[in-house]
Amino acid sequence: MTTIATAPVMDAKPRVKTPPRPRNLRRVLGTYALLVGGGVLLILPFFWLVSSSLKTDQEISNISQLLPAVPQWGNYAEALRRMGLEVNGGAIRFPALANTIVVTVLCVVGQVVSSSLVGYGFARYRFKGRDTLFMVMLATMMLPAQVTMIPVFLLFRSVGWIDTLLPLIIPAWFGTPFFIFMFRQFFAQVPESLLEAARIDGAGHLQIYARIMLPLSGPVIAIVAIYTFMFTWNDFMSPLIYLNSPENRTLALELNAFSGQYGVEHRELLMAASFVTMLPCILLFFAAQRYFVDSAASSGMKG
Amino acid sequence: MNLARAARTLLVIATALIVAWAFIDVGARVARSIVDRLDGSAVTLTVLHWGNTEEEAIVEHLVREFERTRPGVRVQRLHAGDYDAKLKTMLAAGTPPDLFYLRYEDVPDFAEQDMVMRLDAAAIAELDDFYPMLVNAFRWDPDAQRTGRGDLVGLPKDFTTMVMYINLDLFRRAGVAVPYDGWTWAQYRDAMRRIAALGPDIHGGVIKTWPMVLRNLVWSHGGAFFGDDFTDVRLDEPGALAAMQLVVDTRFTDRSVFNATGISQDEDDLFRRGRIGAIGPLGRWMAPRYRKIESFGWDVVPLPHAEGAAPVSAIATVAWAVSSQTKHPEQAVDLLRFLCGREGQVMSSELGLAIPSMRSVAESDAFLSPGRKPANARLYLDMIDHGRLGQNPRLRQFDRILGNEMQAVLQHHDATPAQAAAAVERKWLAELASPLNSRAYGRMPWATVIAVTCVLLAAATASLVWFARREKLGAIARGQQRAGWMFVGPWVAGFLLFVLGPMVLSLLLAMTKWSAMAPLSSAQFVGFDNFVHLFAYDEDFGQSLWVTVYYTLLAVPIIQVAAILVALLMNQAVPGIALFRTAYFVPSVVTGVALVTLWITIFNNDTGLLNAALNPALNLLGLEAPDWFGTDSEWFAVPALVMMSLWGVGGGMVIYLAGLKNIPASLYEAARIDGASPVRQFFAVTAPMLSPLIFFNVVMGVIGSFQVFTQAYVIRGSSGGTNKDMLFYVLHLYDHAFRFHNMGYASAMAWVLFVILLALTLLVFRGSRGLVHYEGLKA
Repeated sequence: MTTIATAPVMDAKPRVKTPPRPRNLRRVLGTYALLVGGGVLLILPFFWLVSSSLKTDQEISNISQLLPAVPQWGNYAEALRRMGLEVNGGAIRFPALANTIVVTVLCVVGQVVSSSLVGYGFARYRFKGRDTLFMVMLATMMLPAQVTMIPVFLLFRSVGWIDTLLPLIIPAWFGTPFFIFMFRQFFAQVPESLLEAARIDGAGHLQIYARIMLPLSGPVIAIVAIYTFMFTWNDFMSPLIYLNSPENRTLALELNAFSGQYGVEHRELLMAASFVTMLPCILLFFAAQRYFVDSAASSGMKG
Repeated sequence: MNLARAARTLLVIATALIVAWAFIDVGARVARSIVDRLDGSAVTLTVLHWGNTEEEAIVEHLVREFERTRPGVRVQRLHAGDYDAKLKTMLAAGTPPDLFYLRYEDVPDFAEQDMVMRLDAAAIAELDDFYPMLVNAFRWDPDAQRTGRGDLVGLPKDFTTMVMYINLDLFRRAGVAVPYDGWTWAQYRDAMRRIAALGPDIHGGVIKTWPMVLRNLVWSHGGAFFGDDFTDVRLDEPGALAAMQLVVDTRFTDRSVFNATGISQDEDDLFRRGRIGAIGPLGRWMAPRYRKIESFGWDVVPLPHAEGAAPVSAIATVAWAVSSQTKHPEQAVDLLRFLCGREGQVMSSELGLAIPSMRSVAESDAFLSPGRKPANARLYLDMIDHGRLGQNPRLRQFDRILGNEMQAVLQHHDATPAQAAAAVERKWLAELASPLNSRAYGRMPWATVIAVTCVLLAAATASLVWFARREKLGAIARGQQRAGWMFVGPWVAGFLLFVLGPMVLSLLLAMTKWSAMAPLSSAQFVGFDNFVHLFAYDEDFGQSLWVTVYYTLLAVPIIQVAAILVALLMNQAVPGIALFRTAYFVPSVVTGVALVTLWITIFNNDTGLLNAALNPALNLLGLEAPDWFGTDSEWFAVPALVMMSLWGVGGGMVIYLAGLKNIPASLYEAARIDGASPVRQFFAVTAPMLSPLIFFNVVMGVIGSFQVFTQAYVIRGSSGGTNKDMLFYVLHLYDHAFRFHNMGYASAMAWVLFVILLALTLLVFRGSRGLVHYEGLKA
């Protein structure tokens, strides 16, 4: 407890990489013990996942065997095949993956464009009802999605979009309160002089937004994109409700169907399928680690 | 350095290529479907079914064969793993498949809701060759609310009787004679005891207890589920009680019958691995799977029966049915007859999953397949003479009520059969007595409602415009106005379309009874009866609220405290901390179904990581790790989910870490000069400075906890479909909306959720007054 509680003091100093002084040694060792212990606990499920996915049918029910004798890489090929991957000569068909990518990419683009537009409007324009509207928007963050779920379903049904990817994509193009809020906080900090200069140069509203504001907001765009990616990639309820045909399924649905159909009998394949499904998120994390860890700092949540 | 850049470039190119491939792939498919739709000349029929890969192959073959012989007709075949959910959603979407599998149990529901087309029995010549019992199973008499007579609503594709699968080797080793000519339950119990004594890994048997086969057990004890009508529940009579007692005795007293609790338990697989003496009641569908067994001999024997009672076998049967909304009734009936025709029946006979519904095929070698296991295949046909089909109530809630109570008595062993019987009766009668199920309602006056809504909307718009116009603005200010509204326009449109409008409609729906199968105009106006049902008649509502509140109370504080502690740890300036930060954060990017499937295998009480790790330690203390989603699920299922969420502690950690970094060092300096201890510093400096973050996270955490869905849905699916300890509020809501097709009722539930959350949020706001410290906040 002691080690933990004094943490901020240590960090308040500039980070110097000098060896710890002897009287701090015990504290440092304690810290490492905690760090390693917690880290092992958190990494263990990954280890279990990968090791299980490479086991044979016999090995998987043998709990005392931690590692497969011979890694069964074929499990991955088989799992992918059962999730709908078809390789036909040169043509690769994998509808679930293609659908998930299309939906995710379009949602990310839509979310960034719409949320930044709206955030910019709230941050930089004075118009009647703005503050009321902003409060209403923040209030909708508290609204459970289930209240609107059924009517929205009926809405999409009435335009004949059930069993298409549109109901998963279109809502992202109208902005999400939380992301709008983040953009607004960011845009509000941009010095007015910058906009003034642009205006004098004759830039229009959209030009200022596109040429000045958007390029400045790189970090916020990254965060919105990352979170939208992760949410959309893993979303389960909307695909479950809106998609019917096998060729329209997303990976999350395919994985759920997989666990229902083969999961109990072939846990090793299920684990391989899970790993394949989560891999893009993990890769994204490593590619954009900087933004992930900085996200909260620049989210404007510090109030 | 150059290598890293090259790798990054390669990654970007690869990503771009994959994205391009995805867009081309999906784009081509969308284009094709548009072309298909524009080209209206071809008749397209949609067919929805379930089944394993082999069954899919058969349906696929038949469908292509049909297309080949009928030019101009195209068939789209849909296969669904979670069939019920899919079919119900398609029906709710107003896009039902033209043909679909219809279980016998679902006939009352589908026939009564007019979801299936009435067939002209006289026009189907081959009907004479079908087993009459099966054809009658798909006749519906709306006056009597009974199957057996009346209009034909489906054509049986196949069926099965119920038998026991036995491991011949284990029977021989235990010295038990194979009961080819039938046995009593007393003999069964004795045999189970003797087989179980063979070794610690061997279980005497497995007794299946899902509602349909449980009913078989009750019948074989001379009892019944219902009397003459569905209000007369007979579970509390000797026959039914004896059946339940048998399961309890063999599972818990003798411990000779395996009690499969928890998630992803597969008793059928245990039999395949040679660890089960007898498993049943099961149908023909197990045969193909067990034909792969090479390590021991197996066969089928009749189900046991009580002394003095006749042997009896439940009949499970599935029909192909035509949607009442099909646009091509003629072609659909043609396809229906083709799918149930001789060719398909012969094909599926050879596959061996079921008994063909045509007598001539069933009696042929195609089905009996001499030389292949089981040797006693004739038994499936012999049991037809003892076959029985029970009448089912139209309200499918009965199975759910039954399932929940039976889980308590037969799996968790925390109720007696008599208590469970009483509970089923009480809950079922309450369901029937609810105004929603007993009162007649008039139509919702949509015309009036819409008119009133329009007037209100017009008034609101007018007053807004009037307010806006009151103030005269200069040119620049007007430009600001216009541009501002233009920018926020997307959200305003989204708000009206996806939030405000739906909220109004949802509130209106909450006052109706509407199945979503019929047009909205047929919705009945029930006033506040949905709410009456919710609070007075729906015991699951209380259960779902409890599960959700239990989760919230555990998850919110534990996760926030853990996140703060980890953040404090991560704030240490020790070498290599960045690496740890990464390690702690990675798990939080895994969410959704992938997360749950991983953890399901971790929680498995036989082969899972968690209990394997816990048990050695706990056994020293004389304890045993909990059966998380099984016998101990009442108290441990929710904590297990909390543990799963705790794995993602990194998400909250980074937020608090950022908060910690923003605390000025001068505050700590001052505290130290004042002689504050580290603990004191935490409570005097760190906690107040973090309080706005904590507050925000608690509010969002509570809201998130009330919306738990994916975890509960996936876990319930893999723990047998009924686990009341996983009945989260939103799952219950989803069930009513998309399973029981009570859209009005589900809307009412959504509004109750909304009100609860609103109240909670206000409560948190009030409670936080004086606790949350906003540094530098300008008043």
